[in-house]
Amino acid sequence: MIIRRILLLVAIGTITGCVATGYTLVQPGPNAAQELRVTADNGWNLAPTMMTPAARTGTQTWTQDGLLLDRLVLIPAVPDGGTLFIDRSNTAALPMFRKNMLPNEIEELIESTLVKYFGEGQATVSTSNLRPQMYGEQRGVMFDLSAQLSDSPDYRGTIGAFIANDKLYTIWYIAAHPHYHDKHSQRAEAIIKSAALVN
Amino acid sequence: MIHRAAPAIALVVLAMSASVATDEEEIGHLIPPGYTPEQEADEKGLWAEFEEIELQLRKSALLVEDVYLNDYIKGIVCRVAGPYCADFRVYIMRNPGFNASMTATGMMQIWTGLITRASSSDEIAAVVGHEIAHYTRLHSLQKLRDMKKKSATGAFFDLILIAATGYSGVGQAAAIMSMLSFSREQETEADILGARLLAQAQYDPHASYRVWQKLIAEEKAAVVKREEPTAFSRTHPDAEVRMQYLKSWVTAHYGEPDVEIVADKPFVDMLNANYLFLMEDQIDTNRFGRTREMLERHAEIGVEPSLVRYFYGEMFRQRGEPGDEDLAMAAYRHSIEGGNPPPQAYKNLGYLHLKNNELEKAQNNFRLYLELEPDASDRAMIEFYLEES
Repeated sequence: MIIRRILLLVAIGTITGCVATGYTLVQPGPNAAQELRVTADNGWNLAPTMMTPAARTGTQTWTQDGLLLDRLVLIPAVPDGGTLFIDRSNTAALPMFRKNMLPNEIEELIESTLVKYFGEGQATVSTSNLRPQMYGEQRGVMFDLSAQLSDSPDYRGTIGAFIANDKLYTIWYIAAHPHYHDKHSQRAEAIIKSAALVN
Repeated sequence: MIHRAAPAIALVVLAMSASVATDEEEIGHLIPPGYTPEQEADEKGLWAEFEEIELQLRKSALLVEDVYLNDYIKGIVCRVAGPYCADFRVYIMRNPGFNASMTATGMMQIWTGLITRASSSDEIAAVVGHEIAHYTRLHSLQKLRDMKKKSATGAFFDLILIAATGYSGVGQAAAIMSMLSFSREQETEADILGARLLAQAQYDPHASYRVWQKLIAEEKAAVVKREEPTAFSRTHPDAEVRMQYLKSWVTAHYGEPDVEIVADKPFVDMLNANYLFLMEDQIDTNRFGRTREMLERHAEIGVEPSLVRYFYGEMFRQRGEPGDEDLAMAAYRHSIEGGNPPPQAYKNLGYLHLKNNELEKAQNNFRLYLELEPDASDRAMIEFYLEES
């Protein structure tokens, strides 16, 4: 559902021809979304917040070839009881983060959130290869995702996540499969693995 | 709420019963088996659009291709359709919502959420009979012509324009089906003819209103209401009115229902064989009130207890309210005691032991999980905990 709204915004911007896209280049090297730091390589563009209306404050969305084809989403500091996106209608039943979640529950939290992200009933999302991963000094997890949509290309991706100070930090790479996913997946995974808290 | 609405519902039911009493003998099939349009340009256009949509639908990633499930559903469709069986192509769509639809061309969609909400083959047959009645009564064509007549400006938003809006495949089908939503009269016709088809096929006609009773119960159990009604209920009259009306009509024509309702073995076998993916999709909706309502029903009709208890565990654990972790642990243990648990029951029980700082118990369950699932994709994560001391 969220992705459909974004598609609509892109379409409006294209049709009117007078809406500044407002993308800015992500400088290679250390970058931070609040206290979530990652190390970027070349070619990523930070999307304007108007293109990601459901994003939490502090979330950054990067892309190489456009938001419908690939995106790297940095979601910092989701508090206990918070959701990974904003549900303005309060009817989406977004799953809530709990500070005592274990790896399997973080995986399920993100899988269920992604079902809402793509549109409930319009996609099936599965996750796999849950594995441990260190983020600086924080223990966390990585896993892979696969999403089949009713009337769009399949999406694949990799997710990184860790809990620090009772807050969830997560980085998502999601891209159209196979071309765009495979094109950037190694670079995206390197960025995810570089994640850590700002000292 | 029900108490306040009761007089109004009674009036509507009475009014519907009176009108149906005079017309019901005329409600039959309007087309013969094997029907294709030959003369009318608008009907041929409608068919061409739906045939295009069907080509897209066949490529949908959400199409369920499991042979057993498809054979089971197609068997019901053919039994209800009788001589019309060859007119229909059935597509089972992986969607945990409740819906079924039929186009003028005989393309029938059944969502998996309908299967998880039914309690018997009779209830699936009830929805199928209703959709077949829409088809043989040419309701899509009638609706199209009705819309053209009502278009005062002449700027009729025809189907070709819809196809150009950027929707494609299932999205396009949904847009067109929404535009072609049936009138209350058409729905009533489909209800009556559908119940007749049900009885003719030796299914229980009382299943036609039991479907609605379950949807009403689920809606009441929902913690978070949906933004919009489901596609099915949006295009259908008020569920409470409809349930009451159908109950009166079916009872008047076919007598009182059996006191005890027993789910048929083919239905329970089909549900058992597909239960994991059907309920995993439901759990992913994060709608725990609705899920609990379904699980209670599945337990009643005799779905494999180990599977139902496992999903009780999933529901409690992911809901995460105070006391839910204890309920989840009990449910996983019951699942395991039932003798046929999914391997994940051991894993998720193990994780709950970890939360309780019971490392040895956690590791015992993790080992059992890996024994049952040696190729588990999360093996690295489980082994990480097995190496802890």
